[in-house]
Amino acid sequence: MAGRLLRVPLMQKILGAWPWWLLLLALFGVRLSKGAGVMDAYALLSRPFWPGPAQSQWLQSAQRLDEHTRLQLLEQDNARLRGLVELDKTRGTAISAPVISRLTSGWWQQLELGKGSLQGVRDGAAVIAPGGLIGLVSSVTPTTARVALLTNSSSRLGVWIPRVKRHGLLVGLDTPRPRLEFLDKDTGVRPGDVVTTSPASTLVPPNLTVGVVQSVDEDLVPAPDASVQLSAPIDAVDWVQVVAR
Amino acid sequence: MAALHRQRWCIATALLVPLLTLAAPWFLAIDGVGPAWAVLWLLPWALEEGPLSGAFAGLALGLLMDGLHIGAVTEAPALLLLGWWWGRIGRRGLPISRTFNLALLAVIGSAALGASVLLQERVAGTLPPASSGWQILLTQALITGLLAPLISSLLLLRWRQIT
Repeated sequence: MAGRLLRVPLMQKILGAWPWWLLLLALFGVRLSKGAGVMDAYALLSRPFWPGPAQSQWLQSAQRLDEHTRLQLLEQDNARLRGLVELDKTRGTAISAPVISRLTSGWWQQLELGKGSLQGVRDGAAVIAPGGLIGLVSSVTPTTARVALLTNSSSRLGVWIPRVKRHGLLVGLDTPRPRLEFLDKDTGVRPGDVVTTSPASTLVPPNLTVGVVQSVDEDLVPAPDASVQLSAPIDAVDWVQVVAR
Repeated sequence: MAALHRQRWCIATALLVPLLTLAAPWFLAIDGVGPAWAVLWLLPWALEEGPLSGAFAGLALGLLMDGLHIGAVTEAPALLLLGWWWGRIGRRGLPISRTFNLALLAVIGSAALGASVLLQERVAGTLPPASSGWQILLTQALITGLLAPLISSLLLLRWRQIT
């Protein structure tokens, strides 16, 4: 029966064209898989002309510019609003000062700055390094100022944890990581939480980054405390900004 | 003339103490903690000049160093007592020139200085219990003892040449 069917001339032609049938099947497969194979081949061939690192840099710099501009606008807006609610009576100008002596370990954690009362640096002014707040000015001479770092054991600063909206007290221990003491139990603070200055603070500029919570000791009574890593690299800081009150 | 010459040397080298304390060279430090430069300078001076001069130099140096750090903690009493004690040692016994003796005295002096600071902070209550006071004390005593044979012995030789 099969042999007789093969002897029909039309069937012979159809079967003789089997490579074309295979090709059609392959194209049907391409259609079903929405271009598998073809797209892969295109990707392989066009790889030398793909957008390279230069293009990604352009995009990143554009993104940075965008973020920078937005930050500036928001800061201006924020300053205007703070002026409206009269939270911002203490706003002063920032003075750039070089670090001329850096004692970050040993008995006293302190910096000496190369600008003093002649340049407008005042006692108690906040000192900001790239990365965040690092300390307060503890004494000034006409041309120098001494900064008590947040890690110094005499340093006490009220701080704010934005994620859980809670206040804490940052206490220096003479070690690189100050301790964060809470006033009540069940704080909900976790390692990784950012610590900032209080948004309503008038002693130091509000909403400055201070550090990141490294570990939390929940078992302590009456309230837990946490170890905080400062966000500014104190051992490497060369220039700081002194925000005069 | 010799006394005048000595005074000049004394003041010139003593002025290096606050400068070195402020500059805090990183290569002369263990874990960031530098030596007690005041101890390194006071030791040869007191050994050579006697208890009264040693105590006076210790007090002067202590007052100078107190002006260089934050807080109300003072180093002057410890340095005064150390100057007095080292002066008595220098007057009483054999001339101390062995480096081991110098290093030992410097270690004890640095530890006493650190202990006085620790005690004052503990009494004033500014020092939290978890602080690293003991570590700083030991580290500073160690680096001071290591540097004493290098620096104090040179100063001691110099003072003996001049007198």
